[in-house]
Amino acid sequence: MAISRLERNNLLKGLAFISPWIVGFCVFTLLPISLSLYYSFCNFTLLQGPLYRGTENYQTINADPVFWKSLRVTAYFAIVALPMGMIIALSVAMLLNVKIRGMAIYRTIVYLPSLVPAVASAMLWLWLYNPKLGLINTVLSKLGVTNLPGWVADPDWAMPALVLMSFWGVGNTVIIYLAGLQDVPRELYEAAELDGAGTWAKIRHVTLPFISPVIFFNLIIAIIGSVQSYTTPAIMTPGGGPDRAAYFYTMRLYDQAFVFLKMGEASAMAWVQLFIVLALTGIAFWSSKKWVHYQGK
Amino acid sequence: MKSLKSIVITCLGILAIAVLFFGPRAGSDVPPGRIVIDYWEKWTADEEAQMRLIVNEFNESVGKEKNIFVRYVSTSNVNQKALVATAAGVPPDVAGLWDGNLVQFAELDALEPLEEMAAAHGINSSTYKPVYWNACNYNGHLYALISTPAAVALHYNKKAFAESADALRKADLDPTRAPATIQELDAYAKVLERVDGAGHITRSGYLPMEPGWYVTSTHIWFDGDYWNPTTHKFTFTDPKVVASFAWLQSYSKRLGKDAISEFRSGTGNFDSPQNPFLTGTVVMEQQGPWMANYILNLKPSMSGVKQPYADDVFLPLELRQQHCEWAAAPFPSNEPGKTYVSLCNFDTLVIPKGSKHKQEAFEFIAYVNRQEVMERLCRMHSKNSPLAKVSQDFLTHHKNPYIKVFEDLASSPNARALPQSPILPEVGDEMNNVIQRLVLLRDEPEPALRVLQAQLQEKYDKFAEIQRIRREKAAAENKQLVEK
Repeated sequence: MAISRLERNNLLKGLAFISPWIVGFCVFTLLPISLSLYYSFCNFTLLQGPLYRGTENYQTINADPVFWKSLRVTAYFAIVALPMGMIIALSVAMLLNVKIRGMAIYRTIVYLPSLVPAVASAMLWLWLYNPKLGLINTVLSKLGVTNLPGWVADPDWAMPALVLMSFWGVGNTVIIYLAGLQDVPRELYEAAELDGAGTWAKIRHVTLPFISPVIFFNLIIAIIGSVQSYTTPAIMTPGGGPDRAAYFYTMRLYDQAFVFLKMGEASAMAWVQLFIVLALTGIAFWSSKKWVHYQGK
Repeated sequence: MKSLKSIVITCLGILAIAVLFFGPRAGSDVPPGRIVIDYWEKWTADEEAQMRLIVNEFNESVGKEKNIFVRYVSTSNVNQKALVATAAGVPPDVAGLWDGNLVQFAELDALEPLEEMAAAHGINSSTYKPVYWNACNYNGHLYALISTPAAVALHYNKKAFAESADALRKADLDPTRAPATIQELDAYAKVLERVDGAGHITRSGYLPMEPGWYVTSTHIWFDGDYWNPTTHKFTFTDPKVVASFAWLQSYSKRLGKDAISEFRSGTGNFDSPQNPFLTGTVVMEQQGPWMANYILNLKPSMSGVKQPYADDVFLPLELRQQHCEWAAAPFPSNEPGKTYVSLCNFDTLVIPKGSKHKQEAFEFIAYVNRQEVMERLCRMHSKNSPLAKVSQDFLTHHKNPYIKVFEDLASSPNARALPQSPILPEVGDEMNNVIQRLVLLRDEPEPALRVLQAQLQEKYDKFAEIQRIRREKAAAENKQLVEK
């Protein structure tokens, strides 16, 4: 199909205007991604040129028990923290959606922790979790708990501690849920009440279906975020913590690349990570047909 | 309207271009005409400032004379940043790496060999203490010189010893001296530690994991080796190495892993007045000579000095030692007859491959390695000297009243540096994991070390195989070039 001269001119102008982004994307994103795919099949130390080794890196990481441990740690975090975080965020958003005095203050309080930089939060929680001097164990001991947890200093408690801490930053998700909840038309609740629906029935049959696109959005973001967790565990459990109990996938990837100078294996890990995220989001998209309801459809 | 819009846009465009070309520029303190040497260093705070004094002195003296200007940048993760910059072909001219990175970088051809430039400046094996010189050499090349070194010693709280004098004597231990053997160290630790009725440790006599910076080198004091540089084999199952790991674990077995973990979680940061050695909650620990600086800065009363304490270095050494509440001594050895055993760490000065001003960069490195300059820097950092020749003034007027102990340790034939393995960072990581499993009582030394040995040997063999392939490939390419 031929395009007119005007259309061609407009196309060229459009391309010229977005060219900074196109160039930036190609040079700083597309090229590194493509190169990392190539490097994942090479022995590459950064300091020496890449040496093609076929699938050796993938075989090596497959045989590496630390790789599998880091994958298990990340999976644990995703399986426990992700659904619990979403339930907590949704519950808090519902509480913040009721009409009572001082709601703006409550909403601010819930959102405030999200504004604290990740490093500062991690340092704060390190103090809270301090087994000897921390606020949490002090309160627990006042309540009569004798066998106090060692939190991040204890291999059995390190992951629960990180999961618990992840709920501190639900404010962002709460705000998105809140926006979704405020979009639910009042008349639907009134109609449900006329039909004799109780609180749970209204949530089950009105609220959740109506905000399901928002839940779906948060789910996708949470899947990607949990698989990529790095900053908080890297600060709170450096080196993966006791017995590598909290050695997340991205921490292993970073160490492989910049500490052990195994850029090829790190690239292979990055591609495995990408496929894990793709698979999980793919499953989420596939399942969304059954539970996500868009308005007008 | 349309023309007004065009005029405004044109004016803004001209203004932007004018600012771009004629706008303010960051000030430069580089004197015109000088060759600029970029020097990246890991230090922060006082150590950074003290090295800056040396850099400034160089710029004002040798630098001025030879037309060189050293631009000094303090940065975190200097090894990783130097690595990326070197790979990108824009390395700093001088980098202050850790000794643990030296062989790894040298093996990957990231460092310039320095032996010829060193020889031209009269720097050779006789310039340095053997332990440091040998560690700077790898595969027949000199890859680094030293900025400041260290030797690890036992630091102990004399006041706590005196307070427990009766109990120590009762256990046939001398409260006026440090333990001389590992068995004695354990015995002193038992007497000095305090455990309350509920099993909580309130004061530790000695804990291998506190601060635990050198636990991966414990084998040194057991006269063991986990790496054979001749056969390129790991020897973690050597009985002496196994014994060193079993000793690390013995404290968890005796005191309980949870009690140790709880105690350690309650100790403060190293660089704070809550440092457990300063608060007296840890009576003995392994530390480097810099500890004297931290004591002076954070708890000067522990050094028995009055403010301002700068003059104190001119008091007689014996008097200073007498007033100190702490002392340093060689860390006990488990090998009968072996004394003055120590791990000798150091900070390096290297020239990354691709530096555009190698000769000028070495001028600076050689300047730092002049005896008077090195002694000034080491005195400021409160460290021993890596050089073979040490002035009497350095020994008597050093901030650390026990500097002679560190000098003797570094000069000792039993002084050891880190093993020269090109995969040392990975070795250290895996060793730390095994040690954690041992102190958590999740493993036993012998089986854990057998697995560790097999794992690391496989990693090394693979690394060596790749390096061999790379060398063969490079040789073939060279041959092709020659034939052409």
